[in-house]
Amino acid sequence: MTTPSTASLWRNHILPFTLLVTLLGVATVIGDYLLHRLDLVWVGRYLGIPGTLLIIGSLIYSLRKRKYITSGNVKSWLSMHEIGTWLGSLMVLIHAGIHFNAILPWLATIAMGINVISGMVGKMLLGRSREHVQSQRGHYQLRGLSKAEVEQAVFWESVTFAAMARWRKVHIPIFIAFAVLALGHIISIFLFWGWQ
Amino acid sequence: MSKTLKFVLAANLIVLAILTFVYPHLMVGPGKLIPGHSQLETDCFACHAPFLGTTTERCMTCHKLEEIGKLTTLGQPIKKPLTNTPFHQKLLKQDCLACHSDHAGVKRFRIEGRFNHSLLQADARKECQSCHKSPKDSLHEEITGNCTQCHTQEKWLPATFDHDKYFVLDRDHNVKCATCHERNDYSRYTCYGCHEHTLEKIRREHIEEGIRDFKNCVECHRSADEHDIRMPGRGREREKGHRRDRDDD
Repeated sequence: MTTPSTASLWRNHILPFTLLVTLLGVATVIGDYLLHRLDLVWVGRYLGIPGTLLIIGSLIYSLRKRKYITSGNVKSWLSMHEIGTWLGSLMVLIHAGIHFNAILPWLATIAMGINVISGMVGKMLLGRSREHVQSQRGHYQLRGLSKAEVEQAVFWESVTFAAMARWRKVHIPIFIAFAVLALGHIISIFLFWGWQ
Repeated sequence: MSKTLKFVLAANLIVLAILTFVYPHLMVGPGKLIPGHSQLETDCFACHAPFLGTTTERCMTCHKLEEIGKLTTLGQPIKKPLTNTPFHQKLLKQDCLACHSDHAGVKRFRIEGRFNHSLLQADARKECQSCHKSPKDSLHEEITGNCTQCHTQEKWLPATFDHDKYFVLDRDHNVKCATCHERNDYSRYTCYGCHEHTLEKIRREHIEEGIRDFKNCVECHRSADEHDIRMPGRGREREKGHRRDRDDD
């Protein structure tokens, strides 16, 4: 028999996480199938470009979080990061397709897959952290902060929560491995491809 | 990130970089090369110019235009050429990659065996049988040349020619093509190729009807059906009635 907190963990975190990962897999298979069915396989070759640009664009959140840039709401940037990386990964997965040609791009794809799953784990942990920090909300309100200021304070506390900090120690190296492998693939394409 | 983790990460990535340079065909090559180029597998820059890809000029350093389809790159005669006549010399311009791809992963994106005939010089475009064999069926066995009257250069099928639009070939007209189309010239026909229709007989029948211009038979007769006669400017129904009047006489 599950306790209420276990049920809530399953409903609020594990189920959405599982759904997002499954949806990514299903969308990849459907996208690949449609491109083959509609005789548009060549489109898949170029989907890697917008996919990579989306992933790179979504890194603005990391810059905002580390305060290299100061404009924009950090929560909105996080949403953009989540959506951008999910969509970008989908495009790159369709681009990778089922065609096994060279090892390096496949290593990059695997690293990206692990990175996406790690990112979703981070999203799940962030949700858990927020729940914990929400309990501190009353404390901020008592200090006389406005509603928007309370929201910001809760957000920053949740992203710096200990579990998040530990997760980041795993997520960042995975991302670096993915970035270097992807860069290797991109350089090899620039080096050998005829861009006429 | 801890120093140990940084070291492990960097070491792995360096190993991968070294492997890429030692085994480029496995690490970055998009699939196996065609058998003829298999000895170039680890020498990417034999065909690829950095940041420019493969260029026609590079291909032609080994594949001399005048020798393509005749001699191998080693100067030996090709034992089993794919076409009867070498045609690369008759291309409008030399663009090897328009048709050829050497890596298995790239070839997958191409539709094998589809050749864009517009790449050929105008004269070569008419010489279908230099490259293509005529099908071995009773119809095509009788035909030489003039393929474009029925087939397009984009697709062999569907054949665009519908003989019924010109004349219905019923059981009385199920004859060899050359009976009507002499010398396999399908731009012309004659109805006097068989014993049934003689010029004298046809002339007599038409003069009786008051018809003096009867050179182009199919202009009025689109089938052997004597009730299906279409005279330009007089209409089909009227002609049918006219014919029926004659039959009643």
